[in-house]
Amino acid sequence: MLKHLTQFYRPASVEEACALLAARDSRNVALAGGTTIAAVNDTTIEGLVDLSGLDLSYVRRTSDGYVIGATTPVQDIYKSPVLTGPAGQLLRSAAGKIGSTLLRHSITAGGNLVALFPWSDLPPALLVLDAQAVCRRGVPKRTVAVKNMIETGPRHYLQTGEILTEIQVPEFGLGTGVAFRKLSKTKNDYALITVAVRITLQGEEVKEARIALNAVCKKAQRRLDAEKQLENMVPTPDRIASAAAAAVRDLDMTTDFRASREYRQEVLPVLVRRCIDEALHQARS
Amino acid sequence: MNVTMTINGTKRSFDIDPRMLLLDLLREKGYKSVKKGCGEGSCGACAVLINGRPRNSCLLFAAQCEGAVITTAEGLGTPDHPHPLQTAFVKHGATQCGYCNPGSLIAAKALLDTNPHPTEEEVREALDGNLCRCTGYVKRIEAVLDVASGGKKA
Repeated sequence: MLKHLTQFYRPASVEEACALLAARDSRNVALAGGTTIAAVNDTTIEGLVDLSGLDLSYVRRTSDGYVIGATTPVQDIYKSPVLTGPAGQLLRSAAGKIGSTLLRHSITAGGNLVALFPWSDLPPALLVLDAQAVCRRGVPKRTVAVKNMIETGPRHYLQTGEILTEIQVPEFGLGTGVAFRKLSKTKNDYALITVAVRITLQGEEVKEARIALNAVCKKAQRRLDAEKQLENMVPTPDRIASAAAAAVRDLDMTTDFRASREYRQEVLPVLVRRCIDEALHQARS
Repeated sequence: MNVTMTINGTKRSFDIDPRMLLLDLLREKGYKSVKKGCGEGSCGACAVLINGRPRNSCLLFAAQCEGAVITTAEGLGTPDHPHPLQTAFVKHGATQCGYCNPGSLIAAKALLDTNPHPTEEEVREALDGNLCRCTGYVKRIEAVLDVASGGKKA
């Protein structure tokens, strides 16, 4: 319940939305799909700025990848016929594991990134795809690495009066394989472990390895030590096992009523190894 | 504030508090098929079609629906002229207490509107946000597949 909510704005342009969010002394917040804000108790919010009228709902192919509008429902990503290559496949796979069908029609791409919960499924996929986020503050815009945004925390990363408008994802083509796994008690439940992997081969060697996790930690993160175990090497079962072990090492593992730290520590490397195997298989085929 | 929406084919305007959720507005205005279950997007009892999309009305501010075309279970059919899905739910025993039925019917309609001949897996996925604690899920899946097949699976 937003006890002190008195205003609801429906801006028709990004400039207008940003001005409303930047207004002096305003206690306005941006509203995308609403699945987070409609359910919270927050007494600080006085105005909602509805972003649904800004024409930011689209999935498009570009010369080097894809662009996804911030207010695109994740169901549209899941079912998009445009997302065809390995990166597209990973995006569809991650989007399709978010909540239920009903929720996927409300949850947006931008909301899933900016709200950034431990159980958010798109952020780890965006991390391994080296995605970028377009942020606008009225007319001025900046294009930033999703990795930087997540490390800072998207809500802190965005300046006052700035909104995320688009996510840009490069496509990698032949020689790249991807994998995404979400472990949860039921298909719709919050994730206990989320793993996203991208492997790009050059000949027999791994040119780029990307391994990202969520749900086992407070927010999505890449596991750089695990990636280094694979890069510039021919992947062998031993190296893959070392990478899987490194993915768990020095991780501040979540423990809660859904799954203990010990359980996650046991299962996580298995899922990482399977994801690497799957991505390698795809990259070689 | 004022909000105008088309509900089951009728254009209506309401003076609302911006805090009001779509679920509460619809029930207050007499659309009692829209049920409040969990209130947090988990059960699907409150599902309605909004511009063709099945969504949880408990997680939507009514103000978000300015200009929207909304369909509730009241808009599907009447007791005299039920929607084929409603007929199939009765025929297959996909209803017991009935609380989940309006939301399940809405989710099923959204599926068949975009995919008239779904596989069983596609039906299961389309209804995955609609909890049912009576029928064990199988009967409503049979009902949807029956409608999709034009009654040939009866």
